[in-house]
Amino acid sequence: MLQVRNLLVFFENALAINDVSLEVSQGELVAVLGSNSAGKTTLMNTVSGLLLDIQKKEQRRGGERITIMGRVEYEGREIIQQKPSLRVKQGIVLCQERHPVFRDSDVLENLRIAGYLYTRREVKEGIEKVFAIFPVLRRLRKRRAGLLSGGEQQMLAAGIALMARPRLLLMDEPLLGLSPLLQAELAASIKEICRQGITTLVTEQFARPIMPIIDRGYVMENGRLVFSGNREELMDNPEVKSAYLGV
Amino acid sequence: MQPPDVKIRRKRLDRGIKARTDSVFVIAAPGDIIYVLAPRVLPVVALLILPFFLSEYHQEVLVHASVVGLLALSWDLLACCGLFSLGQSLFFGVGAYMAGMMDYYLHLSIWIGLPLATLSGGAICSILLAPVVRLKGVYFAMVTLMLPLLFRKIIEASGLLGGTLGLSTRGSFPNEWVAVYLGIIVFLGVLFGLRKLIDSDYGLVLKAIRDDDRAVMSAGINIYARKVQALFVAGSIASFAGAFLTYRYEFVGFSVFAWDYAILPLAAAALGGPGTFAGAALGSMILVPLSEALRAMGGLRIASYCLVLMVSIIALPEGIFSFLERKYHQFESLVEVK
Repeated sequence: MLQVRNLLVFFENALAINDVSLEVSQGELVAVLGSNSAGKTTLMNTVSGLLLDIQKKEQRRGGERITIMGRVEYEGREIIQQKPSLRVKQGIVLCQERHPVFRDSDVLENLRIAGYLYTRREVKEGIEKVFAIFPVLRRLRKRRAGLLSGGEQQMLAAGIALMARPRLLLMDEPLLGLSPLLQAELAASIKEICRQGITTLVTEQFARPIMPIIDRGYVMENGRLVFSGNREELMDNPEVKSAYLGV
Repeated sequence: MQPPDVKIRRKRLDRGIKARTDSVFVIAAPGDIIYVLAPRVLPVVALLILPFFLSEYHQEVLVHASVVGLLALSWDLLACCGLFSLGQSLFFGVGAYMAGMMDYYLHLSIWIGLPLATLSGGAICSILLAPVVRLKGVYFAMVTLMLPLLFRKIIEASGLLGGTLGLSTRGSFPNEWVAVYLGIIVFLGVLFGLRKLIDSDYGLVLKAIRDDDRAVMSAGINIYARKVQALFVAGSIASFAGAFLTYRYEFVGFSVFAWDYAILPLAAAALGGPGTFAGAALGSMILVPLSEALRAMGGLRIASYCLVLMVSIIALPEGIFSFLERKYHQFESLVEVK
Protein backbone atom coordinates (compact mmCIF):
# COMPACT_ATOMS: atom_id res chain seq x y z
CA MET A 1 0.00 0.00 0.00
CA LEU A 2 2.73 2.42 1.02
CA GLN A 3 6.21 2.13 -0.34
CA VAL A 4 9.02 4.44 0.66
CA ARG A 5 12.15 4.03 -1.41
CA ASN A 6 15.55 5.55 -0.79
CA LEU A 7 14.13 8.52 1.01
CA LEU A 8 16.60 11.30 1.82
CA VAL A 9 15.65 14.40 3.75
CA PHE A 10 18.10 17.20 4.43
CA PHE A 11 17.55 20.02 6.88
CA GLU A 12 20.02 22.51 5.49
CA ASN A 13 23.18 20.36 5.36
CA ALA A 14 22.18 17.85 8.01
CA LEU A 15 20.79 14.53 6.99
CA ALA A 16 17.55 13.88 8.89
CA ILE A 17 16.48 10.80 6.97
CA ASN A 18 19.22 8.77 5.40
CA ASP A 19 18.26 6.39 2.62
CA VAL A 20 15.17 4.93 4.24
CA SER A 21 13.14 2.30 2.41
CA LEU A 22 10.11 0.74 4.00
CA GLU A 23 6.90 -0.88 3.02
CA VAL A 24 3.46 -1.15 4.57
CA SER A 25 0.91 -3.47 3.03
CA GLN A 26 -2.86 -3.40 3.26
CA GLY A 27 -4.30 -4.09 6.71
CA GLU A 28 -0.98 -4.18 8.52
CA LEU A 29 -0.05 -2.49 11.77
CA VAL A 30 3.57 -1.44 11.43
CA ALA A 31 5.69 0.37 13.99
CA VAL A 32 8.75 2.56 13.53
CA LEU A 33 10.80 2.53 16.70
CA GLY A 34 13.52 5.01 17.47
CA SER A 35 14.85 7.37 20.08
CA ASN A 36 14.64 11.14 20.03
CA SER A 37 15.89 12.75 16.82
CA ALA A 38 15.99 9.43 15.00
CA GLY A 39 13.87 10.95 12.24
CA LYS A 40 10.53 9.38 13.07
CA THR A 41 8.52 12.58 12.95
CA THR A 42 10.27 13.73 9.79
CA LEU A 43 9.39 10.40 8.20
CA MET A 44 5.74 10.84 9.18
CA ASN A 45 5.72 14.41 7.92
CA THR A 46 7.21 13.29 4.63
CA VAL A 47 4.64 10.58 4.08
CA SER A 48 1.76 12.86 5.06
CA GLY A 49 3.12 15.71 2.96
CA LEU A 50 3.34 18.14 5.85
CA LEU A 51 7.03 18.52 5.17
CA LEU A 52 6.28 20.16 1.83
CA ASP A 53 4.33 22.80 3.68
CA ILE A 54 7.06 23.27 6.27
CA GLN A 55 9.56 23.47 3.44
CA LYS A 56 7.61 26.22 1.73
CA LYS A 57 7.20 28.21 4.94
CA GLU A 58 10.86 27.93 5.84
CA GLN A 59 11.78 29.03 2.37
CA ARG A 60 9.61 32.13 2.57
CA ARG A 61 10.91 32.96 6.00
CA GLY A 62 14.45 32.50 4.78
CA GLY A 63 14.99 29.75 7.32
CA GLU A 64 16.31 26.24 6.92
CA ARG A 65 16.39 24.79 3.46
CA ILE A 66 14.71 21.41 3.39
CA THR A 67 15.56 19.01 0.59
CA ILE A 68 13.46 15.91 -0.04
CA MET A 69 14.63 13.15 -2.36
CA GLY A 70 13.55 9.65 -3.13
CA ARG A 71 10.22 8.03 -3.82
CA VAL A 72 7.06 7.66 -1.80
CA GLU A 73 4.48 5.49 -3.49
CA TYR A 74 0.94 5.12 -2.28
CA GLU A 75 -1.19 2.48 -3.96
CA GLY A 76 1.23 2.41 -6.85
CA ARG A 77 1.29 6.16 -7.45
CA GLU A 78 4.16 8.51 -6.79
CA ILE A 79 3.03 11.10 -4.24
CA ILE A 80 6.20 12.79 -3.05
CA GLN A 81 5.29 16.13 -4.59
CA GLN A 82 1.57 15.97 -3.81
CA LYS A 83 -0.04 18.53 -1.53
CA PRO A 84 -0.98 17.28 1.95
CA SER A 85 -4.66 18.12 1.40
CA LEU A 86 -4.72 15.93 -1.69
CA ARG A 87 -3.13 13.08 0.24
CA VAL A 88 -5.81 13.31 2.92
CA LYS A 89 -8.46 13.00 0.21
CA GLN A 90 -6.73 9.83 -0.97
CA GLY A 91 -6.80 8.43 2.55
CA ILE A 92 -3.42 9.24 4.10
CA VAL A 93 -4.19 10.84 7.44
CA LEU A 94 -1.64 11.93 10.03
CA CYS A 95 -2.29 12.07 13.75
CA GLN A 96 0.49 14.37 14.93
CA GLU A 97 2.52 13.96 18.08
CA ARG A 98 1.59 15.71 21.33
CA HIS A 99 -2.09 15.37 20.53
CA PRO A 100 -2.96 18.64 18.83
CA VAL A 101 -6.68 19.41 19.28
CA PHE A 102 -8.75 22.57 18.97
CA ARG A 103 -8.48 23.56 22.60
CA ASP A 104 -11.33 26.03 22.75
CA SER A 105 -13.91 23.83 21.03
CA ASP A 106 -15.67 20.93 22.69
CA VAL A 107 -15.11 17.30 21.78
CA LEU A 108 -18.08 17.04 19.46
CA GLU A 109 -17.13 20.21 17.62
CA ASN A 110 -13.59 18.91 17.24
CA LEU A 111 -14.87 15.78 15.58
CA ARG A 112 -17.26 17.72 13.37
CA ILE A 113 -14.50 20.02 12.12
CA ALA A 114 -12.45 16.95 11.28
CA GLY A 115 -15.27 15.57 9.16
CA TYR A 116 -15.18 18.64 6.96
CA LEU A 117 -14.76 16.63 3.75
CA TYR A 118 -17.88 14.55 4.26
CA THR A 119 -21.64 14.94 4.30
CA ARG A 120 -23.61 15.44 7.47
CA ARG A 121 -24.79 11.83 7.56
CA GLU A 122 -21.31 10.48 7.07
CA VAL A 123 -20.05 12.74 9.85
CA LYS A 124 -22.71 11.43 12.20
CA GLU A 125 -21.77 7.84 11.39
CA GLY A 126 -18.11 8.68 11.80
CA ILE A 127 -18.69 10.19 15.23
CA GLU A 128 -20.56 7.07 16.31
CA LYS A 129 -17.65 4.95 15.11
CA VAL A 130 -15.17 7.07 17.05
CA PHE A 131 -17.32 6.81 20.17
CA ALA A 132 -17.47 3.04 19.72
CA ILE A 133 -13.68 2.85 19.72
CA PHE A 134 -13.18 5.45 22.47
CA PRO A 135 -16.22 5.17 24.76
CA VAL A 136 -14.69 7.76 27.12
CA LEU A 137 -15.21 10.47 24.55
CA ARG A 138 -18.98 9.92 24.46
CA ARG A 139 -19.22 10.86 28.10
CA LEU A 140 -17.03 13.95 27.55
CA ARG A 141 -18.54 15.09 24.29
CA LYS A 142 -19.59 18.53 25.57
CA ARG A 143 -16.33 19.29 27.37
CA ARG A 144 -13.81 21.76 25.98
CA ALA A 145 -10.87 19.89 24.48
CA GLY A 146 -8.37 22.05 26.35
CA LEU A 147 -9.75 20.76 29.64
CA LEU A 148 -9.31 17.08 28.80
CA SER A 149 -6.49 15.05 30.29
CA GLY A 150 -3.52 14.09 28.16
CA GLY A 151 -4.84 10.62 27.49
CA GLU A 152 -8.28 11.90 26.59
CA GLN A 153 -6.76 14.49 24.29
CA GLN A 154 -4.74 11.77 22.60
CA MET A 155 -7.90 9.75 22.08
CA LEU A 156 -9.60 12.81 20.67
CA ALA A 157 -6.66 13.42 18.34
CA ALA A 158 -6.92 9.84 17.13
CA GLY A 159 -10.68 10.35 16.73
CA ILE A 160 -10.06 13.49 14.70
CA ALA A 161 -7.76 11.51 12.42
CA LEU A 162 -10.37 8.78 12.07
CA MET A 163 -13.02 11.32 11.07
CA ALA A 164 -11.09 11.98 7.87
CA ARG A 165 -11.77 8.34 6.93
CA PRO A 166 -8.18 7.20 6.56
CA ARG A 167 -7.12 4.16 4.66
CA LEU A 168 -3.56 4.68 5.82
CA LEU A 169 -3.42 6.10 9.33
CA LEU A 170 -0.12 7.60 10.45
CA MET A 171 0.19 7.94 14.21
CA ASP A 172 3.15 9.91 15.48
CA GLU A 173 4.01 8.85 19.03
CA PRO A 174 0.44 8.29 20.19
CA LEU A 175 1.58 6.94 23.53
CA LEU A 176 3.86 9.84 24.38
CA GLY A 177 3.41 11.13 27.92
CA LEU A 178 0.68 8.73 28.99
CA SER A 179 0.65 6.50 32.04
CA PRO A 180 1.42 2.80 31.47
CA LEU A 181 -2.20 1.91 32.16
CA LEU A 182 -3.49 4.37 29.57
CA GLN A 183 -0.79 3.30 27.14
CA ALA A 184 -2.08 -0.26 27.25
CA GLU A 185 -5.64 0.94 26.83
CA LEU A 186 -4.79 3.15 23.88
CA ALA A 187 -2.68 0.42 22.28
CA ALA A 188 -5.70 -1.86 22.42
CA SER A 189 -7.76 0.85 20.71
CA ILE A 190 -5.15 1.19 18.00
CA LYS A 191 -5.30 -2.53 17.43
CA GLU A 192 -9.07 -2.21 17.18
CA ILE A 193 -8.72 0.56 14.59
CA CYS A 194 -6.43 -1.65 12.58
CA ARG A 195 -8.82 -4.56 12.86
CA GLN A 196 -11.48 -2.43 11.21
CA GLY A 197 -9.36 -2.46 8.07
CA ILE A 198 -7.36 0.73 8.48
CA THR A 199 -3.69 0.24 7.69
CA THR A 200 -1.70 1.87 10.45
CA LEU A 201 1.87 3.11 10.73
CA VAL A 202 2.85 4.01 14.31
CA THR A 203 6.03 5.60 15.58
CA GLU A 204 7.11 5.11 19.14
CA GLN A 205 10.06 5.66 21.42
CA PHE A 206 9.39 2.86 23.83
CA ALA A 207 8.57 -0.46 22.31
CA ARG A 208 7.08 -2.18 25.33
CA PRO A 209 3.49 -0.90 25.22
CA ILE A 210 3.01 -1.37 21.49
CA MET A 211 5.00 -4.54 21.01
CA PRO A 212 2.00 -6.78 21.70
CA ILE A 213 -0.17 -5.19 19.01
CA ILE A 214 2.11 -4.72 16.01
CA ASP A 215 2.59 -7.02 13.06
CA ARG A 216 5.95 -5.74 11.94
CA GLY A 217 8.43 -3.13 13.01
CA TYR A 218 11.35 -1.04 11.85
CA VAL A 219 14.06 0.40 14.05
CA MET A 220 15.46 3.82 13.18
CA GLU A 221 18.68 5.34 14.41
CA ASN A 222 20.04 8.73 13.34
CA GLY A 223 17.86 8.77 10.27
CA ARG A 224 18.77 5.27 9.17
CA LEU A 225 16.79 2.05 9.33
CA VAL A 226 19.00 -0.33 11.27
CA PHE A 227 16.71 -3.29 11.74
CA SER A 228 13.41 -4.59 10.50
CA GLY A 229 11.38 -7.67 11.14
CA ASN A 230 8.15 -9.04 12.46
CA ARG A 231 7.20 -8.92 16.10
CA GLU A 232 8.98 -12.10 17.12
CA GLU A 233 12.17 -11.13 15.36
CA LEU A 234 12.12 -7.74 17.07
CA MET A 235 11.50 -9.29 20.45
CA ASP A 236 14.38 -11.70 19.96
CA ASN A 237 16.90 -9.17 18.75
CA PRO A 238 19.25 -8.44 21.67
CA GLU A 239 19.98 -4.88 20.64
CA VAL A 240 16.33 -3.96 20.30
CA LYS A 241 15.71 -5.61 23.61
CA SER A 242 18.28 -3.57 25.45
CA ALA A 243 17.57 -0.29 23.68
CA TYR A 244 13.79 -0.21 23.38
CA LEU A 245 12.40 -2.79 25.73
CA GLY A 246 14.57 -1.91 28.67
CA VAL A 247 15.32 -5.52 29.45
CA MET B 1 16.05 18.93 -15.03
CA GLN B 2 18.82 16.45 -14.42
CA PRO B 3 18.36 12.76 -15.11
CA PRO B 4 16.84 10.92 -12.16
CA ASP B 5 19.88 8.79 -11.37
CA VAL B 6 22.16 11.77 -10.71
CA LYS B 7 20.86 13.47 -7.61
CA ILE B 8 21.99 17.01 -7.10
CA ARG B 9 21.01 19.28 -4.28
CA ARG B 10 21.86 22.78 -3.27
CA LYS B 11 24.18 22.95 -0.32
CA ARG B 12 24.38 26.04 1.82
CA LEU B 13 27.28 27.07 4.01
CA ASP B 14 27.58 29.97 6.40
CA ARG B 15 30.79 31.91 6.26
CA GLY B 16 32.66 31.04 9.41
CA ILE B 17 33.71 34.57 10.16
CA LYS B 18 30.71 35.44 12.31
CA ALA B 19 31.48 32.67 14.74
CA ARG B 20 35.05 33.84 14.99
CA THR B 21 34.28 37.49 15.50
CA ASP B 22 31.23 37.39 17.71
CA SER B 23 33.09 38.11 20.93
CA VAL B 24 36.80 38.04 20.20
CA PHE B 25 38.06 40.33 17.51
CA VAL B 26 40.96 38.55 15.97
CA ILE B 27 40.77 39.23 12.30
CA ALA B 28 43.97 38.94 10.41
CA ALA B 29 43.42 39.00 6.69
CA PRO B 30 42.48 42.27 5.00
CA GLY B 31 39.77 40.38 3.14
CA ASP B 32 38.16 39.48 6.44
CA ILE B 33 38.41 43.04 7.70
CA ILE B 34 36.72 44.36 4.58
CA TYR B 35 34.10 41.62 4.79
CA VAL B 36 33.20 42.63 8.34
CA LEU B 37 33.49 46.39 8.01
CA ALA B 38 32.05 47.02 4.55
CA PRO B 39 28.35 46.60 5.40
CA ARG B 40 28.78 48.84 8.45
CA VAL B 41 31.05 51.55 7.18
CA LEU B 42 29.78 51.96 3.62
CA PRO B 43 26.22 53.07 4.47
CA VAL B 44 27.51 55.44 7.16
CA VAL B 45 30.00 57.08 4.82
CA ALA B 46 27.42 57.22 2.05
CA LEU B 47 24.86 58.91 4.29
CA LEU B 48 27.39 61.42 5.57
CA ILE B 49 28.66 62.38 2.12
CA LEU B 50 25.31 62.35 0.39
CA PRO B 51 24.07 65.83 1.48
CA PHE B 52 26.94 67.50 -0.40
CA PHE B 53 25.62 66.19 -3.69
CA LEU B 54 21.96 66.85 -3.11
CA SER B 55 19.79 69.83 -3.88
CA GLU B 56 17.94 71.50 -1.05
CA TYR B 57 14.77 69.60 -1.87
CA HIS B 58 16.53 66.24 -1.85
CA GLN B 59 18.25 67.12 1.40
CA GLU B 60 14.81 67.69 2.82
CA VAL B 61 13.76 64.23 1.64
CA LEU B 62 16.83 62.75 3.29
CA VAL B 63 16.06 64.49 6.57
CA HIS B 64 12.48 63.32 6.43
CA ALA B 65 13.68 59.78 5.76
CA SER B 66 15.91 60.00 8.84
CA VAL B 67 12.98 61.23 10.92
CA VAL B 68 10.77 58.36 9.76
CA GLY B 69 13.77 56.10 10.31
CA LEU B 70 13.98 57.24 13.93
CA LEU B 71 10.29 56.45 14.38
CA ALA B 72 10.77 53.05 12.77
CA LEU B 73 13.72 52.32 15.06
CA SER B 74 11.65 53.27 18.08
CA TRP B 75 8.84 51.00 16.83
CA ASP B 76 11.31 48.18 16.35
CA LEU B 77 12.66 48.55 19.88
CA LEU B 78 9.15 48.22 21.30
CA ALA B 79 8.46 45.26 19.02
CA CYS B 80 11.65 43.67 20.33
CA CYS B 81 10.19 43.48 23.81
CA GLY B 82 6.79 42.32 22.68
CA LEU B 83 4.99 45.67 22.67
CA PHE B 84 3.26 45.98 19.32
CA SER B 85 2.68 49.69 19.01
CA LEU B 86 0.44 51.51 16.57
CA GLY B 87 1.08 54.81 18.32
CA GLN B 88 4.41 56.08 17.10
CA SER B 89 2.52 59.28 16.28
CA LEU B 90 1.80 59.67 20.00
CA PHE B 91 5.51 59.73 20.84
CA PHE B 92 6.22 61.87 17.84
CA GLY B 93 3.45 64.33 18.64
CA VAL B 94 4.30 64.60 22.32
CA GLY B 95 7.90 65.35 21.46
CA ALA B 96 6.86 67.92 18.87
CA TYR B 97 4.51 69.70 21.26
CA MET B 98 7.03 69.61 24.10
CA ALA B 99 9.51 71.36 21.82
CA GLY B 100 6.82 73.81 20.79
CA MET B 101 6.00 74.62 24.41
CA MET B 102 9.66 74.98 25.40
CA ASP B 103 10.07 77.56 22.70
CA TYR B 104 6.70 79.31 22.66
CA TYR B 105 6.11 79.65 26.39
CA LEU B 106 9.55 79.35 27.94
CA HIS B 107 11.66 80.88 25.15
CA LEU B 108 14.40 78.31 25.70
CA SER B 109 17.21 78.13 23.19
CA ILE B 110 17.17 75.21 20.81
CA TRP B 111 20.20 73.53 22.37
CA ILE B 112 18.39 73.33 25.70
CA GLY B 113 14.91 72.84 24.30
CA LEU B 114 15.74 69.96 21.99
CA PRO B 115 17.26 67.62 24.59
CA LEU B 116 14.73 68.70 27.17
CA ALA B 117 11.83 67.96 24.79
CA THR B 118 13.40 64.60 23.96
CA LEU B 119 13.68 63.48 27.56
CA SER B 120 10.41 64.94 28.77
CA GLY B 121 8.62 63.45 25.73
CA GLY B 122 10.02 60.03 26.58
CA ALA B 123 9.05 60.48 30.23
CA ILE B 124 5.50 61.56 29.41
CA CYS B 125 5.02 58.64 27.02
CA SER B 126 6.31 56.08 29.48
CA ILE B 127 4.13 57.53 32.27
CA LEU B 128 1.08 57.53 30.00
CA LEU B 129 1.62 53.96 28.87
CA ALA B 130 2.96 52.55 32.13
CA PRO B 131 -0.50 51.40 33.27
CA VAL B 132 -1.04 49.42 30.08
CA VAL B 133 2.28 47.59 29.72
CA ARG B 134 0.48 44.63 31.22
CA LEU B 135 -1.49 44.41 27.99
CA LYS B 136 -0.07 42.36 25.22
CA GLY B 137 -0.38 42.15 21.48
CA VAL B 138 -3.45 43.65 19.91
CA TYR B 139 -4.72 45.20 23.16
CA PHE B 140 -1.59 47.26 23.61
CA ALA B 141 -1.83 48.20 19.94
CA MET B 142 -5.40 49.43 20.43
CA VAL B 143 -4.49 51.63 23.38
CA THR B 144 -1.56 53.15 21.55
CA LEU B 145 -3.78 53.67 18.53
CA MET B 146 -6.35 55.59 20.57
CA LEU B 147 -4.03 57.88 22.54
CA PRO B 148 -2.82 60.07 19.65
CA LEU B 149 -6.43 60.40 18.55
CA LEU B 150 -7.33 61.50 22.06
CA PHE B 151 -4.60 64.14 22.14
CA ARG B 152 -5.55 65.39 18.73
CA LYS B 153 -9.18 65.79 19.67
CA ILE B 154 -8.35 67.45 23.00
CA ILE B 155 -6.16 70.02 21.29
CA GLU B 156 -8.72 70.52 18.54
CA ALA B 157 -11.70 70.90 20.86
CA SER B 158 -10.25 72.78 23.81
CA GLY B 159 -8.00 75.17 21.96
CA LEU B 160 -5.13 74.38 24.33
CA LEU B 161 -1.59 74.76 22.98
CA GLY B 162 -2.74 76.93 20.13
CA GLY B 163 -5.66 74.71 19.22
CA THR B 164 -6.20 74.20 15.53
CA LEU B 165 -3.82 77.04 14.70
CA GLY B 166 -0.83 75.34 16.28
CA LEU B 167 2.19 77.06 17.77
CA SER B 168 4.60 79.10 15.70
CA THR B 169 7.99 78.84 17.30
CA ARG B 170 10.93 81.18 16.92
CA GLY B 171 13.95 79.09 17.73
CA SER B 172 15.50 77.31 14.82
CA PHE B 173 18.68 75.70 13.68
CA PRO B 174 21.50 78.15 12.98
CA ASN B 175 21.72 76.94 9.41
CA GLU B 176 20.59 74.23 7.02
CA TRP B 177 23.71 72.07 7.35
CA VAL B 178 23.42 71.79 11.11
CA ALA B 179 19.87 70.53 10.78
CA VAL B 180 20.66 68.02 8.04
CA TYR B 181 23.68 66.62 9.81
CA LEU B 182 22.06 66.57 13.22
CA GLY B 183 19.23 64.49 11.76
CA ILE B 184 21.54 62.06 10.01
CA ILE B 185 24.00 61.69 12.86
CA VAL B 186 21.34 61.11 15.49
CA PHE B 187 19.68 58.61 13.14
CA LEU B 188 22.94 56.68 12.68
CA GLY B 189 23.79 56.93 16.36
CA VAL B 190 20.42 55.55 17.40
CA LEU B 191 20.66 52.79 14.80
CA PHE B 192 24.04 51.53 15.98
CA GLY B 193 23.25 52.23 19.62
CA LEU B 194 20.12 50.11 19.51
CA ARG B 195 21.90 47.31 17.71
CA LYS B 196 24.51 47.39 20.45
CA LEU B 197 21.85 47.55 23.15
CA ILE B 198 19.87 44.59 21.89
CA ASP B 199 23.01 42.46 21.77
CA SER B 200 23.86 43.31 25.37
CA ASP B 201 22.54 41.45 28.39
CA TYR B 202 19.94 44.16 28.84
CA GLY B 203 18.65 43.62 25.31
CA LEU B 204 18.64 39.90 25.88
CA VAL B 205 16.12 40.37 28.68
CA LEU B 206 13.96 42.53 26.41
CA LYS B 207 13.96 39.87 23.70
CA ALA B 208 13.21 37.21 26.28
CA ILE B 209 10.17 39.21 27.40
CA ARG B 210 8.87 39.08 23.86
CA ASP B 211 9.38 35.34 23.62
CA ASP B 212 8.05 34.27 27.00
CA ASP B 213 7.27 36.88 29.62
CA ARG B 214 6.35 34.38 32.30
CA ALA B 215 9.68 32.62 32.04
CA VAL B 216 11.42 35.98 32.49
CA MET B 217 9.20 36.78 35.45
CA SER B 218 10.05 33.49 37.07
CA ALA B 219 13.73 34.33 36.65
CA GLY B 220 13.11 37.13 39.15
CA ILE B 221 13.14 40.03 36.69
CA ASN B 222 10.57 42.79 36.94
CA ILE B 223 9.30 42.78 33.37
CA TYR B 224 7.01 45.76 33.84
CA ALA B 225 9.90 47.95 34.91
CA ARG B 226 11.87 46.74 31.90
CA LYS B 227 8.98 47.46 29.57
CA VAL B 228 8.59 50.98 30.97
CA GLN B 229 12.32 51.54 30.49
CA ALA B 230 12.03 50.36 26.90
CA LEU B 231 9.06 52.68 26.47
CA PHE B 232 11.14 55.57 27.78
CA VAL B 233 13.96 54.87 25.33
CA ALA B 234 11.61 54.36 22.40
CA GLY B 235 9.54 57.38 23.43
CA SER B 236 12.64 59.56 23.68
CA ILE B 237 13.82 58.53 20.25
CA ALA B 238 10.47 59.31 18.65
CA SER B 239 10.12 62.52 20.70
CA PHE B 240 13.46 63.67 19.38
CA ALA B 241 12.15 63.14 15.88
CA GLY B 242 9.09 65.25 16.70
CA ALA B 243 11.06 68.00 18.42
CA PHE B 244 13.54 68.03 15.58
CA LEU B 245 10.84 68.64 13.01
CA THR B 246 9.22 71.33 15.18
CA TYR B 247 12.46 73.28 15.26
CA ARG B 248 13.05 72.68 11.60
CA TYR B 249 9.66 73.90 10.43
CA GLU B 250 9.34 76.46 13.25
CA PHE B 251 5.78 75.29 13.68
CA VAL B 252 3.87 72.59 15.47
CA GLY B 253 0.21 71.75 14.82
CA PHE B 254 -2.06 68.89 15.78
CA SER B 255 -1.30 67.14 12.50
CA VAL B 256 1.74 65.66 14.26
CA PHE B 257 -0.66 63.17 15.82
CA ALA B 258 -1.74 62.03 12.34
CA TRP B 259 -1.89 58.43 11.17
CA ASP B 260 1.07 58.82 8.82
CA TYR B 261 3.56 58.89 11.63
CA ALA B 262 2.19 55.64 13.01
CA ILE B 263 1.87 53.75 9.75
CA LEU B 264 4.96 54.88 7.85
CA PRO B 265 7.45 53.60 10.46
CA LEU B 266 5.54 50.36 10.76
CA ALA B 267 5.58 49.89 7.01
CA ALA B 268 9.28 50.74 6.90
CA ALA B 269 10.08 48.15 9.55
CA ALA B 270 7.95 45.52 7.83
CA LEU B 271 9.62 46.22 4.50
CA GLY B 272 13.16 46.15 5.86
CA GLY B 273 12.71 43.26 8.28
CA PRO B 274 11.57 43.79 11.84
CA GLY B 275 13.79 42.90 14.79
CA THR B 276 17.05 43.92 13.18
CA PHE B 277 16.90 47.75 13.49
CA ALA B 278 19.00 47.99 10.35
CA GLY B 279 15.96 46.65 8.54
CA ALA B 280 13.77 49.43 9.89
CA ALA B 281 16.40 52.01 8.94
CA LEU B 282 16.80 50.58 5.45
CA GLY B 283 13.04 50.39 5.01
CA SER B 284 12.56 54.06 5.80
CA MET B 285 15.45 54.99 3.52
CA ILE B 286 13.59 53.19 0.74
CA LEU B 287 10.01 54.12 1.52
CA VAL B 288 10.30 57.88 2.05
CA PRO B 289 12.25 58.63 -1.14
CA LEU B 290 9.94 56.25 -2.98
CA SER B 291 6.88 58.10 -1.78
CA GLU B 292 8.49 61.37 -2.90
CA ALA B 293 9.41 59.93 -6.28
CA LEU B 294 5.84 58.80 -6.77
CA ARG B 295 4.55 62.31 -6.14
CA ALA B 296 4.46 62.87 -9.88
CA MET B 297 1.80 60.21 -10.22
CA GLY B 298 -0.71 62.41 -8.47
CA GLY B 299 -3.77 60.56 -7.21
CA LEU B 300 -2.30 57.15 -7.99
CA ARG B 301 0.61 57.81 -5.65
CA ILE B 302 -0.85 56.16 -2.58
CA ALA B 303 -2.21 53.27 -4.63
CA SER B 304 1.14 52.46 -6.21
CA TYR B 305 2.80 52.96 -2.84
CA CYS B 306 0.48 50.39 -1.27
CA LEU B 307 1.14 48.05 -4.16
CA VAL B 308 4.90 48.22 -3.70
CA LEU B 309 4.46 47.54 0.00
CA MET B 310 2.15 44.58 -0.48
CA VAL B 311 4.25 42.96 -3.18
CA SER B 312 7.43 43.28 -1.17
CA ILE B 313 5.85 41.90 1.97
CA ILE B 314 4.33 38.94 0.15
CA ALA B 315 7.42 38.18 -1.88
CA LEU B 316 9.95 38.80 0.88
CA PRO B 317 8.25 38.33 4.25
CA GLU B 318 11.54 38.16 6.11
CA GLY B 319 12.34 41.72 5.03
CA ILE B 320 14.85 43.18 2.64
CA PHE B 321 17.59 43.54 5.22
CA SER B 322 17.28 40.00 6.56
CA PHE B 323 17.38 38.70 3.00
CA LEU B 324 20.49 40.67 2.11
CA GLU B 325 22.19 39.76 5.37
CA ARG B 326 21.50 36.07 4.80
CA LYS B 327 22.78 36.16 1.26
CA TYR B 328 25.86 38.06 2.33
CA HIS B 329 26.79 35.41 4.88
CA GLN B 330 26.08 32.31 2.83
CA PHE B 331 27.78 30.32 0.14
CA GLU B 332 25.65 28.08 -1.98
CA SER B 333 26.83 25.29 -4.18
CA LEU B 334 25.41 22.31 -6.01
CA VAL B 335 26.60 19.00 -4.69
CA GLU B 336 25.93 15.48 -5.79
CA VAL B 337 24.15 13.21 -3.34
CA LYS B 338 25.86 9.87 -2.97
